[in-house]
Amino acid sequence: MKQFLARNPGTQIIDSLRKDNDKGRPWTLMEKIFLGLTPQQYVAQAMSNPLNWFFAVILLVGIPFIIARFFFGLSWAVGDPYDNAWGLFLGFGLFGMVPLSSSGFQLGSAVEVFGRHDFEPIERLGILNGILGYFFAVVFLMCDLGQPWRLIYPMFVSWGPEAVLFLVAWHVATYLSVQAAETSTAFFEWMGWPAGKTFIKKMALGLAVAGIILSTLHQGALGALSTYAPGKIHPLWYSASFQWLYFFVSSLPGGLCMVIVVSTISIKTMGWRCDDTFKNSLSKLQIALAKGASLGLITYLTIRLIGIAHDNKWAYLGTGWGAWWMFEIGFGVILSLVLLVTGVRNNSVTLVRLGAWTTILGVVLHRLNVYMFTFNWQNGHVHIPPFREIMITVTIYTIYIITYRAILYRWPILFKWKTRYSEYAVLDPEPVAIVEAEAARSK
Amino acid sequence: MIERRDFLKGCLACGVTAATVSVAGTSAMAAGSFEGYPDAMGVLVDLTRCVGCRSCEAACNNEQKLPEPDLPFDDLSVFSEKRRTTEKAYTVVNEYKVADKDTLFRKIQCNHCTEPACLSSCFVNAYTKTKEGAVIYDASVCVGCRNCMIACPFNIPAYSYSSPLNPLVKKCIFCYDTRVKDGRPPACVEICPQQVMTFGRRSDLVKLGHDRIQANPGKYVDKLYGEKAVGGTSWMYLSSVDFDKVGLDGHIQNEPIISNVKDFLGFVPMVLSIWPALFTGVHLLATKNKDGHHDHEEGDHQ
Amino acid sequence: MHAVKHTMILGMTAILMMLVSNVCLGAGIPDKVSISSIQKYYDPVSFNHAAHINNLKDCGLCHHHTTGAQVTDPNCARCHKNSGAQATVSCKGCHTADPFTPEALKQQRDQQPPIYHRDKPGLKAAYHASCLGCHQKMSGPTGCQDCHKRNDGGDALFKSGKYAPKAPAKPKAAHH
Repeated sequence: MKQFLARNPGTQIIDSLRKDNDKGRPWTLMEKIFLGLTPQQYVAQAMSNPLNWFFAVILLVGIPFIIARFFFGLSWAVGDPYDNAWGLFLGFGLFGMVPLSSSGFQLGSAVEVFGRHDFEPIERLGILNGILGYFFAVVFLMCDLGQPWRLIYPMFVSWGPEAVLFLVAWHVATYLSVQAAETSTAFFEWMGWPAGKTFIKKMALGLAVAGIILSTLHQGALGALSTYAPGKIHPLWYSASFQWLYFFVSSLPGGLCMVIVVSTISIKTMGWRCDDTFKNSLSKLQIALAKGASLGLITYLTIRLIGIAHDNKWAYLGTGWGAWWMFEIGFGVILSLVLLVTGVRNNSVTLVRLGAWTTILGVVLHRLNVYMFTFNWQNGHVHIPPFREIMITVTIYTIYIITYRAILYRWPILFKWKTRYSEYAVLDPEPVAIVEAEAARSK
Repeated sequence: MIERRDFLKGCLACGVTAATVSVAGTSAMAAGSFEGYPDAMGVLVDLTRCVGCRSCEAACNNEQKLPEPDLPFDDLSVFSEKRRTTEKAYTVVNEYKVADKDTLFRKIQCNHCTEPACLSSCFVNAYTKTKEGAVIYDASVCVGCRNCMIACPFNIPAYSYSSPLNPLVKKCIFCYDTRVKDGRPPACVEICPQQVMTFGRRSDLVKLGHDRIQANPGKYVDKLYGEKAVGGTSWMYLSSVDFDKVGLDGHIQNEPIISNVKDFLGFVPMVLSIWPALFTGVHLLATKNKDGHHDHEEGDHQ
Repeated sequence: MHAVKHTMILGMTAILMMLVSNVCLGAGIPDKVSISSIQKYYDPVSFNHAAHINNLKDCGLCHHHTTGAQVTDPNCARCHKNSGAQATVSCKGCHTADPFTPEALKQQRDQQPPIYHRDKPGLKAAYHASCLGCHQKMSGPTGCQDCHKRNDGGDALFKSGKYAPKAPAKPKAAHH
């Protein structure tokens, strides 16, 4: 796309409800989907991007793998992991993606609850990052469940309210709807349905507060799930009292850093789609986010250490698992903290962006350590997922990236949607249709 | 006006959310120190009696109509490795070479906990602890999340991963449907030539186990494994060597597994009741002195 | 009164037995015992009672106190030191074939006084514990089929012989 715009500088990429010319008629849905390009132009620019070819190869191999998993059963993809019942689909897809998606509730509450309107240019990105992460976590879950068609059973068929997973199921389902409502404002603008947006905007505060509650609980609940397996998870990664705090607290910097990473990728690879407000405020906002993230990381580091001290598990640090623990903490937490704090102090966006990467890797590594690598550590071997499981995971993640990019290209996430006549380019005289439409709305 | 209406809507939204999920918190807290059903049956396993003939494996396979095994049940080469329960075998016997004494064998199957971790971790309530003591499984509601396999402290439940359309948890159900429901002993107990397993009321077996330890000084380790482990199990073990040496976790906690989760579950009602008011309050404070928060919003985006 | 007389007769018999010889081959004591409690899976065992009597000489090794032999187990001796020979001597007279039926369990629970014989094995276990325990010590045959040959029903249960799994399934290994 970048190259296409360089070659065709005069192209108008759709960022408004109506056309500048042609009497200001609204863009059709097809036009919006192709961003105002002709389908031929669109396909041509897509084919000229090598990343798309890379994605195509992954999908060509991976999608048949996903189909085969449902056709031949789970064992075709994951083997018979009786002792490690949760593999990459949940270890990475659910437990890894959900904390990186906590950005939705954090930015939503920063703007709506705490009144930090300076975060507005990045609020929608945070919320979109949230819903996509949760949505694809559910996709991963569907791939992992033995009988995914029964996913609604805990809601409607048989209740197991004593279980932490019951709480997770309800919270994630409720929170997905909350986030869907929050994200829908961008969708309504894009579709040109202002009534829907107005309706959602009125609930914004309620949704944000609901987001805080649901997130606090289910982020923690994902950690509490592992307290069912006290003897199986290595003691360095297990603490009955702190487990849910490890997960909740680390999700805070995880989500913020994911927004830093995604916004960096956006501005580098799709600068044409970011408006000036976004471009000009991004460095400042990323540093502000990094400030929040480093506070979260400090808290996280402290409780991880208190957890070890509380149960007096220092002796384990001398073992091989201890070295691995120190790597996780050293790389994922301490190094991240140093990078973020130095970045904030020296106003260096580069350091902040680097620190954001190590933070999210550290958070994901923690989840994998709890649910996969150290799980049943006393059996003496580490469960390595088979190739097909890895391939399916990579494929679903690729679909996630493609979906993410498709939405960022179209919906007003990185830019402001122009709906009012005054925001359009010079158009004289003002078309009657617009006058009528605006008169009707102002009533 | 708009502000107040939004505030009320906010509270309403939170309230509804709280109502839908508060069930989780309260009933989880209600689960506590359950002592077990008074007439629950159990099995006392005496490891010193087992000769490793694998008759129990054969009887189980037959009774539960399990798939054909890879090797005949009289093939003793299986002892070369430590096996676990699988979708094809609800019980297996393992051989343990113990340094000072000779060889011991241990049969592995579901221990039918008094407060089962599989049951308390199941979000569709697929497991039931019957009054007869069996932990049974309702295949018709199982979603296949496999949390029970994660939670079981004895690594018992297996999963029929190979079935595309109806994969299910596979585990010993104490021959509930065919035998224990009617007061008859499970197939493995009945076929055992050595009466390694004694079937009876759990409360009687606890006494019997201690009597046997007392009546045979020096023969047994002075512990009835399962009497207290994870809140008590219906299957209990006597051994002549430390339980760690025969593949049982001798340091397993005495509290039921659900007790580990209570720290978190106790926190749930607090969040549900305090957070809405707290954060709405914070919002009012944070935005009080800013000029027209909502006007600002409208102006920004419309 | 009758009981006293009965005991006296038995006691005298016991003394007579010891006097006459260590071996008693009197009436009512079978030379061969056919044990067929698990004939569903194994052919009956033709137990050579006479040979075992000849070899062991001590009836109490198998029959506890019931034959009136000297009781050595201090726990048993507390009651049975002088209780003499009993009317019921055969294994199946005391050891029930089905020890875990609801009735058997109830009977065990209700027995008076509720102290002794509570941990009495069933018949099959009594045989195996007695035979196998001794065979291990005295290097007798210890394999299952050394004493009782498995029949067709047993083969079917053990998935052995003609019921053996056709091809030892190994496709699972490919997934790991």
